[in-house]
Amino acid sequence: MSSDLSSRVNKERSVVVMVSLLILQLALLSLQIENPSGILLFKSWTLAVQTPLIAVSSGVVGGIQRIWRSYFWMVGARAENEQLKENIRRLSLLNNSYEQMRQENIRLRRLLDIGNPIPFKSVGSRVVARTPSFLSNIIYINCGSADGVHIDAPVLSGDGIIGRTILVAKHQSQVQLITNPDASMGVIIERTRTPGVLRGSGDILLDLTYIGNAEQVDVGDVVLSSGLDGIYPKGLAIGKVVNSQKGKSVFRNIKVEPGVDLIRLEEVSVLLMNSPVEPPGF
Amino acid sequence: MKYVFLAVSSFLAIVAQMIAGNNFFLFNFLDLSLILISYWAVYRSRTQALFVGSLTGFLLDAAMGWPLGYNGFGRTLAAFAIGQSWKRFNTREPWVRFAIIAASSCLSSLSMFILFRLMQRTTSKIFLGASIMQALITAGISVALFAGLETYKRIQTNKAH
Repeated sequence: MSSDLSSRVNKERSVVVMVSLLILQLALLSLQIENPSGILLFKSWTLAVQTPLIAVSSGVVGGIQRIWRSYFWMVGARAENEQLKENIRRLSLLNNSYEQMRQENIRLRRLLDIGNPIPFKSVGSRVVARTPSFLSNIIYINCGSADGVHIDAPVLSGDGIIGRTILVAKHQSQVQLITNPDASMGVIIERTRTPGVLRGSGDILLDLTYIGNAEQVDVGDVVLSSGLDGIYPKGLAIGKVVNSQKGKSVFRNIKVEPGVDLIRLEEVSVLLMNSPVEPPGF
Repeated sequence: MKYVFLAVSSFLAIVAQMIAGNNFFLFNFLDLSLILISYWAVYRSRTQALFVGSLTGFLLDAAMGWPLGYNGFGRTLAAFAIGQSWKRFNTREPWVRFAIIAASSCLSSLSMFILFRLMQRTTSKIFLGASIMQALITAGISVALFAGLETYKRIQTNKAH
């Protein structure tokens, strides 16, 4: 009896030691080996484990939101529907006139040889998760290498730059927001064309650095990407200057508010820098 | 002291394997470290045999310039398989011993092959064939060594009586 018990304890101990040692070896291997896209297997595996969890939680939350919107928000839907139809009629007319102007703009640009300001294809994506903190600086989107997304692909919304992809799985990518303390990019002030470097601070406001005290930068000045960092195309809107003071050193202390509400991101667009758009025809 | 012996014997097994394999090609089909692991699992402690497996694996990976973990993973599995099987089967029969050690060696090689595939590294086509050959030769030598060791112990015990 006591021999059986001892044998069982020994066996259980062996299993525990073996499993621990095997996990240790696998962890060691994953920390040393990179996959073909240059990402450590450890990171890649972590993302792969996260993906189904995020997909399930996102699906559950989306389902609840759909039910809420389908059944509880229907009150007043008829009146709202009429109002929306009227809006559609008005916007259709407006859209026609804008389309004419867009075509004219394309023709003029080609004449002036300016080209398309964003001459790359893009892919639309939905934000499925974000790092768990109030001012989170990393988000997850539901498109990845299968959609043509690469590492360092610029991520935009309608109001400007959001950040860049830093980790890409097959159907999911991790995006570093411009507010992330590790994020920085080359920018210019739209009005004065003064170049500088915009850095994330972990706060909601960004730091605009390397602009001399002698330069004229005012509150309200628009900040655009300069294209010099090799990641973001030139001329994309980023935000507006909200504070500009002479610094103690040779550079000004400038704070920039992003044009995008980074806390309430839902849909984004990822630029596929390897896929240029074909020039539009007349 | 026990752990120093464990480490030194693992180290020596690898060094001997490298020197012998470098000078005599056929020695590459003899896995000295697996014999050491088998010895530890059979005659000493099954749990310590797991550590011997890991350690010899690390040393082998380091010697071969591979990422640490490939051989350690396979040999830890082999140590566990030998330790658990030895008590379950009638290991007085030499062919049973042979089968256990050969199967464990194959298990070790197969797990490494799978790990290679999993880690998206290229594998040689002859790896599995050479591993079976290595398993058979290592098992044969191990059985002979263990039989010699047990005969020696029996003679010593008889003399003492």
